[in-house]
Amino acid sequence: MKKLMAQSLTAAALALGSLVARPAPAAETFIPAPADPSTYLEARALVSNTCSKCHGPTGNGISISPLFPILAAQQATYIELQLKQLRQRVRPDPHARAFMWGIARGLSDEQIEGVAEYFSSLPAAPSPPLTDSALAAKGKQIYESPLQLESGAVNCANCHGLEGQGKSKQAIPRLAGQHPDYLNVQVHYYRSMTRVSAIMNQVSAALTEDQIDAVTRYAASLSGKGRIAAPAAAAPEAQ
Amino acid sequence: MRMLRPGALLTLFLLATALMFVAPPAKAVPPFARQTGLACEACHTLPPELTPFGRRFKLNGYTLTTRPALVNDIDDSKKNTLWLTDLPGLAVLAQIGYDHYDRAPPDAGQPYPAHAQSDSFQFPDQFSLVYAGAVTDRVGAWLQLTYNQVAGSVGVDNIDIRYSDHTINNDLVWGVTANNYPTFQDPWNGSGSYTIPNFNTVTLWSSGVAGAGLRAPIIGSLGPGNVAGLGAYGFYKDSVYVEFSEYHSAISGTGNPNVDSTNLSANGGAVDGFAPYARIAYERDWGYHSAQIGASLLVANWIPEVNYISPAQQAAANAAAAAGTPYTPAQTFHPGAADKFTDLTVDWQYQYNGQHNIFGFLGHFAHEREQNSPQLVASNLANATPSYSNATDTLQQWIVTGEYFYNRHYGGLVSFEKTTGTTDALLNGGTGSPANQYEVLELDYVPWLNFRFILQYNIYNVVANNQSPFLLSHTNFPNNPGFPNVKASDNNTWVLGLWMDF
Repeated sequence: MKKLMAQSLTAAALALGSLVARPAPAAETFIPAPADPSTYLEARALVSNTCSKCHGPTGNGISISPLFPILAAQQATYIELQLKQLRQRVRPDPHARAFMWGIARGLSDEQIEGVAEYFSSLPAAPSPPLTDSALAAKGKQIYESPLQLESGAVNCANCHGLEGQGKSKQAIPRLAGQHPDYLNVQVHYYRSMTRVSAIMNQVSAALTEDQIDAVTRYAASLSGKGRIAAPAAAAPEAQ
Repeated sequence: MRMLRPGALLTLFLLATALMFVAPPAKAVPPFARQTGLACEACHTLPPELTPFGRRFKLNGYTLTTRPALVNDIDDSKKNTLWLTDLPGLAVLAQIGYDHYDRAPPDAGQPYPAHAQSDSFQFPDQFSLVYAGAVTDRVGAWLQLTYNQVAGSVGVDNIDIRYSDHTINNDLVWGVTANNYPTFQDPWNGSGSYTIPNFNTVTLWSSGVAGAGLRAPIIGSLGPGNVAGLGAYGFYKDSVYVEFSEYHSAISGTGNPNVDSTNLSANGGAVDGFAPYARIAYERDWGYHSAQIGASLLVANWIPEVNYISPAQQAAANAAAAAGTPYTPAQTFHPGAADKFTDLTVDWQYQYNGQHNIFGFLGHFAHEREQNSPQLVASNLANATPSYSNATDTLQQWIVTGEYFYNRHYGGLVSFEKTTGTTDALLNGGTGSPANQYEVLELDYVPWLNFRFILQYNIYNVVANNQSPFLLSHTNFPNNPGFPNVKASDNNTWVLGLWMDF
C-alpha cells in the first residue's frame, strides 16, 4: 500500500510537472526602460508584491482574467490618471470599488507615476485575433467611421489611433491587445454613466449591443503598433 | 453511566471532534478587507471558498497591503524592523442556525420523551474573535477563538501563522506555516477544514443519544486543540503547489507531554510522535476560469482512548472485592497500542468567476487505511476487551459539490457525500458497516457580502449503514414502542442560517 501510494504520488508529481511546461508568458522577456532606476525598482517591487496578483502573475502586466485590464504597454498618462481617480474614488464602477479603491488609497503620487511608467514600458500583450471576417469588417467600420453625436462627429480611431494604440498626451487608453470582454464591460459602464467621460458617455449611448460587441472585439484585435515606444535605456540589475 | 463499546467510543470521539471543529464559521474576514482595501469578492467567491486572487493572498502570508504603516521603523539597510498598521486586524464572526428535524429526536434518558422538540436553535452556533492579517511585512497570522454552542465552551480555534517571500517575478512563492489543523493552511477548498459546503449547524439526530455519527477520514478530525504542526510550501510558476508539514499532538487542557490517560481523557485520543502531511496541487487559470487538481497524504499514528483493563489491574480489583472494598478498575488506554491511519486524498476544483456569474464544481475522494493496533484487535486472544474486529480497516469518502451564484447576491449549491468502508462490528457497532450517504441542498441570499442568509435541507440516505436501530448504544431501542421505525431520514433537517462578520 505504502509503495503504491509512493508510486502514485510520484506519477502524479511527474504528470503535474509536465503540465507546468506551458508557453512562457511574454513577461519573461521584457526589457524595461527606466528613466530613473530607483523609481523603476520601487515600482517593480510594488508590482511584484501587489499589482501582479491580478494584472499578470509575473509582473508582466498581462492579466489572465478579463475581470482585470491588461496594463502592459498601456499609456502611462492613462494609468496615472486612472490610479489618481481611483484613489480619489471618482471612478465608481463595481470592480473599481471592489478592488482598486482600496489598493489605490495608499499610493503616493510618486508610486503612481512609477507604476504607470513601469507598466507602460512593458511589451504589449499579443492581440486576440478576430477570425470572424464579417464581425471584423463591422467592427472596423464602426471604429473608423464618423459617429454623429450632439457635440459633433467623432470616431474611435481619431482618439484611440487607427491601430488602437491610444494617445499619451490626452491620456487616451490603448485598446489593442486588451481583453475584448473588459472593453465591452467598460463601454457598458460608460453607457450607464457609471464611468464618466463626456465623449465616451455619448459614444456608448449611440451604439447598439451588437455594435459594442463588434467594435470592442475589433479594437482588441488591433496591432497597437502606432504606439511610440518608451526611450531605450539599460535595465538595472535585479534587486 | 453505561460503558460504551471501545469502537463506539472512538466513533464518538471522531464525531464530537468533527462537530466541534469540522464546521468552523465561514472565513471572509473584515481585517483582510481593511488591510488590503479590497472587498470580500476579491478573495472569495462565497466565503470561505477562495478566488485565484484569494489563494495568492494566502500564499503570500496574508501580508498584501498598500495601506501606509502607522509605525514603520527601518534599519541602516532599509530593512523593516517594525511595521504596524494603524488598526489591529480584529473581527467578529457569528454563525446562527435554526434547525428543524424531520422527526424529533428521542430523549436518551426517557423511553417516552415528554417534551419532544423537532427544532434546535443554535444561537450562536459559533461565535469567534479573530485576528487576521499582517504582523510584519513578511509575516501574517490567523488567530481564532471560538465559542461553540454544542461544546458549550470557548476554545482556541484555527491558527495559522506564516512567513512568506517570493522572487521578484513571482516564479516562486514560498513560505513556512505553523498551524493547528492539517488542511487549514491549504489555498483550495476540496478537502479538510475548508470543504464546501462549509455552513453546517446540524448536530446529527442520532448522535444526540449515541455514537451513531458519520464516520469520516481522520484528517478532518485532527483539528485545533488536538494537533499542531510546522510546514513549508512553495508555489512555482503560479501553478504548482508543494507542501510538507509535520504534526504533533497539542492537546488543549493539558500540558502533559505523555500520551497517557490524562491526555487521552482530555482529548479522546492523541497523535503519537509526528504525523507527516504532504500536499501537491496544480492550478491552471485561463480567462474567467480556474481549475485545480491535487492530492494529499497524511500518516498518523493514533493512540485511541479505549476501555482497557490490564490483567494486573483486574487482579488487584478482584483482590479488593474479596477483601470487601470493591472498586471498578479504570484505564483509558492500552499500553503500547496505536492505530496507523494513512489518508490519501485527491481533490479538485473548477471555478468560473465571471462578471456576473460564478460557477463552481469541487470535491474530493479520500481513501483511508487504518492499521489497527494488534493489541486491540479481536483475534488477539490476550485481549479480553478488543476494539476492532479487523487488523486493517479502510474508509472511502466522496464529496462532490456544485454551486452557482448570480451577482454575488443569489445562489445555491448541491452537495453529495458518500462514505463506504470495511465492515468492522467492534469499531462501528451494529452491522459493522461505516457507510453513510447524504446530500445538502442550499440556497443563499447575500444582501451584503458580510451578511448572508442560508436555507438548507440536509437529506440523509444512509446513516451507519441504516443499522436498525442506528442508535448503537441506547438501551431503549430497538424495542421501544414509542419510537418505532428508526431510519436514516429521521435525521433530515431544514436549516435557516445566518452568517455574518464585521
